[in-house]
Order: sequence, then structure tokens, then C-alpha cells
Amino acid sequence: MVGIRERLYRVGPLWLPAVLLLGSFLSGPLWAEKVKLDSGQWGHQAGEDCVSCHSKSSAGLASQWRESAHAAAGVNCMDCHQADRTDVDAIEHEGQIIATIVSPKDCGRCHEKELAEQQGSVHAEAFAIIEDRLPALADNVGGPAMRAASCDQCHGSRVKVKGDGSLDAATWPNSGIGRINPDGSKGSCSACHGRHRFSKAQAREPAACVRCHSGPDSPDKEIYEASKHGMIYAAEREDMSLESDEWVAGRHYTAAPTCVTCHMGGAGKLPPSHDVGMRNAWNLNAPISERQYLVVFEDGAKMELPESAAVPKRGSELIRADGSRGTVKVVATPKRRRQAMATVCFECHSKGFTQGFMEQFDGVVALFNSKFAIPARRIMEGLYREELLTPTPFDEPIEFTYWELWHDEGARARHGAAMMSPNHAWWEGMYLVGRNFYARFVPEARAIAQQRSADLVDAVLADGGAHAWLGDSEQSSAILGFEAGERP
Amino acid sequence: MRRWISQVLITRHVLIALGLGGLAGALFVAFLIELDEVTSANAFCTSCHSMTYAAESYRESPHYDSPSGVRASCGDCHVSPGLIAATWDHFVGTKDLLKQLFGPDYDDPVVNLLHLPEAAFSAREWFRKRDSATCRRCHLQSAIQGERANTAAIHREEAVGKTCIDCHYNLVHRKVPDARTFKRDAWNRMIEEEFGLEPGTAERLRSDGAGG
Repeated sequence: MVGIRERLYRVGPLWLPAVLLLGSFLSGPLWAEKVKLDSGQWGHQAGEDCVSCHSKSSAGLASQWRESAHAAAGVNCMDCHQADRTDVDAIEHEGQIIATIVSPKDCGRCHEKELAEQQGSVHAEAFAIIEDRLPALADNVGGPAMRAASCDQCHGSRVKVKGDGSLDAATWPNSGIGRINPDGSKGSCSACHGRHRFSKAQAREPAACVRCHSGPDSPDKEIYEASKHGMIYAAEREDMSLESDEWVAGRHYTAAPTCVTCHMGGAGKLPPSHDVGMRNAWNLNAPISERQYLVVFEDGAKMELPESAAVPKRGSELIRADGSRGTVKVVATPKRRRQAMATVCFECHSKGFTQGFMEQFDGVVALFNSKFAIPARRIMEGLYREELLTPTPFDEPIEFTYWELWHDEGARARHGAAMMSPNHAWWEGMYLVGRNFYARFVPEARAIAQQRSADLVDAVLADGGAHAWLGDSEQSSAILGFEAGERP
Repeated sequence: MRRWISQVLITRHVLIALGLGGLAGALFVAFLIELDEVTSANAFCTSCHSMTYAAESYRESPHYDSPSGVRASCGDCHVSPGLIAATWDHFVGTKDLLKQLFGPDYDDPVVNLLHLPEAAFSAREWFRKRDSATCRRCHLQSAIQGERANTAAIHREEAVGKTCIDCHYNLVHRKVPDARTFKRDAWNRMIEEEFGLEPGTAERLRSDGAGG
């Protein structure tokens, strides 16, 4: 197998312009985009009345807005909240026709570039991609009330406007990042940008991501805090220039990267982008990780395709997840996506250091796939095929075991390696994957397969030799605290 | 001259007629007062089954169940102050009786809800035309304090050129959007969903009912 280092060297000096080209396709022009809309298009007359009354009725909200860049630029309540009477969620409020929900489409009136990047991103699609799978866990194992309070708060809800104009409490309030809005747009800018102050500094803080990227299945907060990056950020936060107008790593700050820096931020010549997943080569939250192509369509929509799929040609047509046809505008290969991420690293690290780190990370993903994820999946496939398990997920204990193997512990191991928390890569991650696999999953699978264990379980384990050590019962070690000869 | 007038005009018959007329007039006024009293009462209004739906939401509202013990009756809000205006309102209100008898089947909860928006819109218009006179029976704008810090200031400064109903609607009866943002289709679908009816039932029920 060819390591990434060799592959990068082989591509040679061509790859940097390629990354920049990719960046310009996916991100548009450089730096924080200035609003192009003429200032005559905002400053709605009725806005002053809103502020006058809300300063009395909800003073905190009005003060937040007063401290915002919006207020300084003369953008008032009505500029964002105005609605057309025919809008699905339009309501009458003190004489004005407004909508409570300000969707990405509304923000995009001024913030065109950010909207174009955000639409189709893994954030915008966070609800759409799990909507079909959600009921099996959220409704069956949990209950409908859990969706509104939990799943939907991160993934977003499909907001329902009732016939009397009110927003259904089962779907609202919600600022989940993949929220499906009444106007059809996907996402919620306020998932990261706290309303109504919309502070740049606040969105650049790692804390902006914590509400969702924490906990057992994506402990990115914990991983970041336990990494060297997070450690230095905590110590040198005042040097981060978080309030700076432009915020390019290596130019406006060098102390440490935050989540935004690597996943979205401008770095050197790499432009910033609100497409948060663009620089990710792997899908780390899948049962088996695969490197992913990013397909960008002529109409701006995006789609990921696994590396094993045929590379779509520019100009060809593809059927998308929602069934519609799209014309391919550009395809970013996993290698290009990795190069974009590496460009951020290069602001502070050497090529060799960066490539070495990427090899360590890729090695963990490959190990998880080959030693645990693929065998576990094959064992599960066999049990389903032989009808030893029912098709309903989570009605048998082994289904929880398998779910946690890749969704929780497996994700922790992979994320831990991706973002440099040794503790999460091993103790919170791969160690638990191993324990789960050897001490729960395999015994449970054998108990279900019974006399068919030999072909449904043991044959899979024997494949590849990663589990051959189980057959050697004489490998003495002091690791459990017993010296040689101490055990009977 | 004056004496002649009194001799010719103030005859016994005239006095009797005046006495009787005055008594009849007084009785008539008393009758109108009583009539207004009776026909403004909750018991009278809900004597039609169709009106019991409006009463359900009313009983959930602070206008029915106020901690201070003040309770607004149907007539307190929906019948104008002043005997003449009240009598006129009751006279106009007889059209509701005609519609109850010859119009759509308002006793059916689905039909009732399908017609509720138009009823709400015309009631709001009625309040607006009268500068929310019936609200002002009890509520004195200059005395409103409210529970939040600046409610008094809002009612001084933000309420200029507005009448109560402009801001305070959907207080007592089931929520109906403002006429400007009302969407008939969405309303019909909501009612169908609520009663487990096939999509399109609402349209059929409304066109059936229109002819009576």
C-alpha cells in the first residue's frame, strides 16, 4: 500500500494549485466576504418601532442586538424577520407581517457567499440524512418526546407550521444545524451564531461547536480540550485575535487552531468556507469508514460518494439522494480534500510532520476497519441472513452492542486519532472497541449462532489473522499484575 | 293665553294618555334592559349547541377564570355598552339565529371549526370599528400596569393610534391567524388532521354547508 507521504510527493508541486482551485470552486473568493447588497436594501422603517417596544418587553434581546454588528450597520429586526403574507409561516405581529424563524435563505439575502457554501454541506443535511433512520432509535428505544428535546436539537427538526399559524412545539423551538425550515431551506445559522448579537468572536470559539460535538458518540469538545491544540488555546486565548475582522490562521493569529480554523477557516492561501465537511477525507461516523469524494453540482448542491464508487465525470448526470438529477460541476477526490486540510496544518507544521501525523491517523482508521468494523459487520450480516436475528433494530441485545461498537466507541477512537487526544484514541476509544468486541460482541454472536458459530463467527475471525492471538493461550505477561509463575 | 293652552291641551284624556304612555315607555325600557340582560348572559348564548364550542375555550381563558374573581360574560365583550347600541346589537344578532336554523350545520364540531376563521375576522372588525369599546368597559388603558416591567410604558407609547383588538386577539377563543396571513388550505388540513378525516373533506363540507 502506498502511504500518503509518497502519494503527496508523487503528485509533487501540482497539488498546491489544485487545492487552491478546489478551494475557489467550493468557497468562492478569498476572506470574509463583504456584503454586496446595497445598503438601501436594509434599515426597514418599521424596525424602530420593534426596537422601541422590545426594549421594554424583552430588554435583554434588544440589548444584544444593540451590541451587534447588525445594529452598527443599520440592520434592524424587520430586515431579517419581515415576511410576505403568503409565506407559510407568516404571522401578523403588532401591525407587521413577520416570521419568527429567520432561515439561512433569509440570512443569505445579504450573506450570499456563506449561504452558497452552507447549502448542501454536511451541516445543512444533518437532519435530512438521518430522517429515515431516526425512528428506529429515537421513537422505538426513546420516544417522540426525545426527538424535540434531544436528537432534533442538534440535527434539526422538520419545522411544522400548524394551520392556525403557530409553530408546532414538537418541532419548534429548534436551532439544530440541519433544520428543515418552512421556506424549504436547510439549516440554522443560529446553531453556531448566537442570536441576537451574532458575535464573530463567539462563533470562532470552540464553545460554538460544543452543544453538539460532545458526549459519547462525538466527543470532539473533550478530544480538543485534551489535545495539544486545545491545551495551548486555553493558555493563550488572549492571543487568538478572536475579534479581528478577518481571521486567517498564520496571518491574524498563530497561537492555536480552534475547530473553525481547521474545518472552515482561512489559512494562508486556503480560503475560508461555510462548508464544514469539505476538508474531511473520511466519513468517521460510519459503521466502516471510507474515504469520500465530494461531488459539487451545477446548481450548487453537493453529495458525497465513497472512494469505491466510480468517479463521476465533470458534466455527467447523477441521481442524488433526494431522487433528483444533477449535472456534475466539480469532483473533489479524497486526496484533494486531505490536501486542503493539510494546507491548514502547514501554517504551523512542516510537511513531514503533517504527513506523518496523517499516516498515524489513517492507520487508526484502517485498523478499526479491518480488525473490528468489517468482521463485526460480516458476523451481523450472517446472523441476519440466517434469520437468527429479526430485522427490527434494537430488539436484541447484540444490536446495541454492535451499534455502540462503531457509533460510540469506534467513533471516539477515530475522532481521538483525528484530533490528537491519545486518551480518546485508546482508553475512551479503541480499548473499549476491543473490550466490547472480545468480551461482549463475539460471545453474544456465538450464543446466537450456537452450533453454527464455526462458519458464522469463527471463520470471520480467522480471516486476516488479526485475532490469531486468541488461539495462543500460553502468552504470559505481567500486565494483569501477576508475575510469571504466580498464576496457578 | 297660557291658561287657554292648559285648558285645551291638558285635558283628562291627555293626562291619562301621558300617564299610560309614560308607564308603557318605562315598562318598555325595563323590558329592553331585561332583554339585554337575559340575551347577554352565557346561559342564553350557549343555548344553541354550536356556541358551546366557543364556550369551551372561553372557560379555559383568564376572562372566565380570573384570580380576582372578575368574570366577563359573553355579552360583556360582544354586546356594546349603552341600551340603544345593545338593543341594536341584539337585533343584528338575530341573523345568527337565522343562520343557525337555515345555514350550515354549525352544531357539527368540524363544520363549526371550518367556519370559525370568518367568524373571528368579523368579530375583530366589530371590535375595531367600536374602538374596542367593550374592552374598555373594564380595562382603563392609562391604568394598565401588567406583570412585566414596562407594560405601562408600552401601553402609553407603543399603543398610539392602535385599539385594544389590534394587538390583543386570540385571547379567549381558539387561535385563528390574522386575516392577512390566514391560509384556508392550511387551516382545512389542520382540522382534517385533528378529526382524522380524509384530505379534501373540509372543502366538501364547506361547499355542502353553504347552501344550507
